[in-house]
Amino acid sequence: MTDVTTTAVTGSQPEVAPRKHRHNVALWLSVGWLFLVIASAVLAPWLGFLDDPQKPLAGQPEEGPGWSHWFGTDQLGRDMFARSVWGGRLSLSIAGPAVGIGIVVGGVLGVVAGYFGRWIDLGVSSVVNVALALPALVFALFIVTMLGQSYINVTIAVTILTIPAIARIARAQALRFAAREFVTVAGMMGARWPRLLFREVLPNVVPALASIAFLAMGIVIIAEGSLSFIGVSVGSPSITWGNILAAGKGRLEDAPHIALITGGVMFVTLMALNFVGDEMLRRLDVREARI
Amino acid sequence: MLRFMGMRMAQLAVVVLAVTLLFYWMLNLLPGNPCVAAFGGAATQEQIAECERDRNLGDPVIVQWAKWGGDVLTGDFGKSYLTGRSFGEAINHALPRTLLLLAYSQILALGAAIPLGLYTGYKQNSVGDKITSGGAFALLSTPVFVLGLVLILVFAVRLDWFDLSGYQPISAGLVAHFKVMFLPAVTLAAGLLPVYLRLLRTDVIGTLQEDFVGTARAKGLPVRHVLIRHVLRPSSFTLLTIFGIQAAQAVNGAIVVEFLFDLDGVGSLLVAWVAAREFLLVQTLVALIAAVFVTVTTFVDLLYSVLDPRIRRK
Repeated sequence: MTDVTTTAVTGSQPEVAPRKHRHNVALWLSVGWLFLVIASAVLAPWLGFLDDPQKPLAGQPEEGPGWSHWFGTDQLGRDMFARSVWGGRLSLSIAGPAVGIGIVVGGVLGVVAGYFGRWIDLGVSSVVNVALALPALVFALFIVTMLGQSYINVTIAVTILTIPAIARIARAQALRFAAREFVTVAGMMGARWPRLLFREVLPNVVPALASIAFLAMGIVIIAEGSLSFIGVSVGSPSITWGNILAAGKGRLEDAPHIALITGGVMFVTLMALNFVGDEMLRRLDVREARI
Repeated sequence: MLRFMGMRMAQLAVVVLAVTLLFYWMLNLLPGNPCVAAFGGAATQEQIAECERDRNLGDPVIVQWAKWGGDVLTGDFGKSYLTGRSFGEAINHALPRTLLLLAYSQILALGAAIPLGLYTGYKQNSVGDKITSGGAFALLSTPVFVLGLVLILVFAVRLDWFDLSGYQPISAGLVAHFKVMFLPAVTLAAGLLPVYLRLLRTDVIGTLQEDFVGTARAKGLPVRHVLIRHVLRPSSFTLLTIFGIQAAQAVNGAIVVEFLFDLDGVGSLLVAWVAAREFLLVQTLVALIAAVFVTVTTFVDLLYSVLDPRIRRK
């Protein structure tokens, strides 16, 4: 009898243990990659081994990846590795503040709507529903061309895009927690709404919002990338992942590495963001939170 | 039910009115005369005067806005002063391309997502499921323009199977048509596929727990029959809903894909109008798109409750 149980236990173990292990490896790889991308983006001006991303003829034009130029060079002979790092710097410095502001504004709107309900909810939900029905890219295009192609304006445009999606998720979370016993009990013990909202409901919504931040970051990077790909993000001498790709589009035949490597860097970064976000959602057991 | 419909429509109307009014007010704050800008700086005094009359620039903002709304509601959508083309002409040129692109991509996405969704839901946690779900996850992390570039490189530049010559209508021959439309459709479909697939998989896993599936299996019906006739049917409602929601996002994809493949459809039109500062035309088009989408999603919700009596009682 004891034998059977031990074999059953050990028998089930290999199935669980490596899986968990593998998840951890992928998770740490993602975190490591993100750390690398963020660190290089932040430290780009001080990294000695990094070429000047704007210097033409740092090597032969359209040289493939090699030892002296890790990612090769572009059509003007500029170092692609430096350009990728600087492109990431701009893309991330747009996505970071956009998601930060989006989480705060969208989170507050959503939590307030979910907690108070009634006409506040009706107002917020109406705007959110219609905003989600609008093609987001058109809206961003609009704002950027109207206000001008500058860093601030692109950031404003993509920030506005994040708010409705985040508000919808925060609202769903707030609704879920506002109905829980501990909130009801706190209310019965005489707590007023500010305490209920900020001390009881909000702290429970924050973990979901933190994981959403990773997913939203990915979406903002794609949105900004699309804008700069069609040539409507921050103006020309600035480097973004999107405009490197747009330039690489015309050189696919002779120098595919320009588009492929930058696309690859973007892809891995987005994978890592989505993976960390998904994994956090799973561990925190958040439902109804897909963007 | 009618109350629900009315509510949604009222919401839409209020928000569209508010957004367009806000937009008018913002346009008014922009420096310069929009009529001078509309001609690209090369216009005679009469042309500018006509344009100003046409757009009611002499009136207060709210009156301008009300007149615009009246024009749109009576079917007068305005025209581009730069190209001289009317809104209708431009749309007639662009809309068929975009609609075909969207239709092809939806067919491809659903055609792949339905069998894969049934399979991965039925064989949950199998090797095939893990590979498919991993692939879907990777697709979800791939920007449309990155995937499009890779597809162009492999299938158009290296293998030379497809053309990048811009749009070819069906009347130019089916082969020529699909030689230019297939890659864009695949690119767009690749963004939709993982969304459909994930949803369908979750749905199928849920439906497989239901009693009626057990009964069908116990009767000895073959698995394939049960999956298609009993499991897929309830999930079709979910697909219908997400289809409506995704439609708005498909326009985002269409903009990038049309740019990438030179298709000159509605997405390209929007980009061109924005670049030419034809903001009024953009506003009209976006308001129309939003109205169509909200109507479609409302209709889908309605259909949902008509088809499934359980929803009605909730």
